[in-house]
Amino acid sequence: MRHTRRASGIIAITLATTTGLTACGFGGGTDEGDGGEGTTLDLLVPSYSDATQANWEGVIAGFEEANPEITVNLEVESWDNLESVIATKIQGGQAPDIYNGGPFAGFAADELLYPVEDVTSDATYADFQESFLSNAEVDGVAYGLPFIASARALFVNDALLAQAGAEVPTTWDGLLESAKKVSALGGGIAGYGMPLGSEEAQAEAAVWLWGGGGSFGDADAITIDTPENLAGAEFIQKMVTEGATQADAGSTDRSPLMDIFIQGQIGMQVGLPPTVGQIEENNPELEYSIHPIPTQDGSPFTLGVADHLMAFENDGDKQEAITAFFDYFYTSDVYVPWVQAEGFLPTTKSGAEVLGDEESLAPFLAVLPDAQFYPSTNPSWSTADSAFKALFGQLATGKTAADVLTEIQSQVDAG
Amino acid sequence: MRAFVRALPWIGPALVLIALVVLFPIGVMIGNSTRDISQSGVDRGGVGLANYAEVFAFPYFWPIVGRTLVWVVVVVVLTVVISLALAQLLDKAFPGRRLVRMAVVVPWAASVVMTTLVVHYGLEPYFGIINAFLVDTGIISRPEGFGWTRNPGTAFAWAIVVAVFVSLPFTTYTILAGLQTVPGETLEAARIDGAGPLRAYFGVVLPQLRSALAVAVLINVINVFNSLPILRVMTGSIPGYDADTVMTMIFKYMQNQHRIDLASALSVVAFGLVVAIVGVYLRVVRPLEEA
Repeated sequence: MRHTRRASGIIAITLATTTGLTACGFGGGTDEGDGGEGTTLDLLVPSYSDATQANWEGVIAGFEEANPEITVNLEVESWDNLESVIATKIQGGQAPDIYNGGPFAGFAADELLYPVEDVTSDATYADFQESFLSNAEVDGVAYGLPFIASARALFVNDALLAQAGAEVPTTWDGLLESAKKVSALGGGIAGYGMPLGSEEAQAEAAVWLWGGGGSFGDADAITIDTPENLAGAEFIQKMVTEGATQADAGSTDRSPLMDIFIQGQIGMQVGLPPTVGQIEENNPELEYSIHPIPTQDGSPFTLGVADHLMAFENDGDKQEAITAFFDYFYTSDVYVPWVQAEGFLPTTKSGAEVLGDEESLAPFLAVLPDAQFYPSTNPSWSTADSAFKALFGQLATGKTAADVLTEIQSQVDAG
Repeated sequence: MRAFVRALPWIGPALVLIALVVLFPIGVMIGNSTRDISQSGVDRGGVGLANYAEVFAFPYFWPIVGRTLVWVVVVVVLTVVISLALAQLLDKAFPGRRLVRMAVVVPWAASVVMTTLVVHYGLEPYFGIINAFLVDTGIISRPEGFGWTRNPGTAFAWAIVVAVFVSLPFTTYTILAGLQTVPGETLEAARIDGAGPLRAYFGVVLPQLRSALAVAVLINVINVFNSLPILRVMTGSIPGYDADTVMTMIFKYMQNQHRIDLASALSVVAFGLVVAIVGVYLRVVRPLEEA
């Protein structure tokens, strides 16, 4: 008897401790809390920087003053958690009304979203840059409101390159040569900073694979395992094996590596508009310049990324309030300060005009016409995105380039 | 039966709590493991055992199970052996014993994620203090240090070190409590019979620690098996599946691939695994039977 009682106690402990993990897949149900006759909008956004929450609170305060009958609930999540939070909320029937995220095609495929035209006035809709709007379409209907954009460019440590007698490269071969010269300086200095770690492996993958003439596919099919992509993947391996990059490229994340660049220990690395501000803040002495990303044949190219706002239908009774919010947000008096505070590029025509003569953004605005985007309208893109994060770094840990691309492709096809 | 009804007002709240926080999530988890759930969380209907088939067919599944067993066995054995020694030390009277006893609690009181992050940053190349130490003392010749957490083998080894470190306090204190129940007369009798310190320890003290050790091992096995944060932090940036255990794989299914259905299926498998490990332990070692 004593034995069985102890045994059942053990089973209880086992149960309690093993169920902890998956049980957190279920978030607590928060109340809608529609106080009185007004409408409440739930806004779920990721944190772009430490200032994001305050920026949104400013927007909401202004909006609520102009529309006293509407209340906005703000929820800020980190990028790491954002996608599991939104999946949990949808599964629990608690989808937010407005959501700020990257991929939206999966939600559109599940018929959860309002088309953009239904939740913006004609003037707001017409103000979006066409290229961004068409990048947000599923079957010819735009479901994501282009929110902020960014483009990539090559940040070059001029002092290190001068010391090594290397030139700013425009082609892969030039990059390999310059990077090797800088690496040869020794003392832990790396020629090219190559972040293939899980944080943003898909971006570095795009920089190389697309720069060699490849692509990740389109709205209908994700194509990773192609001969064009193989060229880029193999050149990445060449960079790594010939010692042109930092050590352990396969598991180095982008943000910490960018910190090393800012400290002046890396010759060249691909960066974003906010990198300019980071250098300004942390190491203003750094002698650097910004150039287009080198490609296989030297033709100009950049990886453009647009994040989107999207409106969930839920019960379908908040369309007017959502429209009012978007129309308010995209007026350039509200929108441009937001974009500027976070150091990104605007997606509206009026916003681009206002920011046109901003000096630090000029190198990025210059490469924007050659921007290529992730195939984010393909519902399988988020699977591909995850597969890149989890698997692409194996290029630098000994797997063959062909095997890595095949493995990513098969995970996409299974998803 | 009447006794049960009379007891109900007292045990009722606990039963309700168990039903809500233990049985209900288990039910939902098992339910989810037989459904096809879309990436955005929409239930697209039942698929029977297809999710299980997919989990078992995953080429890295068996290496991951093997690594999980290594993880559990190595961490628990190291923890128990070190704790036995530590508890013996703390059982002796010496000046400042109270302070040392309190110091041993510190890894327990500190957040596991925090402890792991401190070690993780220490191991970073370029600025980590552990790397800086190894470079300055000439043990590592690369000026930026070695990427300990960037390679599966070393990252996994360091994760084991951290796991042992955070498991020590609980285990030590459980054994220390057990040591204090060992009657002085038995030790004295052994000494009179001519047993040396080693013989007295293995012949008299250790057998009487049986039930304390049983608790320590069982709780550690379950805890270590289910430990996510240490491995997540130490091996999180490594590509591929060469440093994963079952727990981090569940996390990858959920977080990276958004496959709540697969994650649930693997969780059910994991639960079965823990029960099996505990079952083997109870069967082979028979720690709960009176000596």
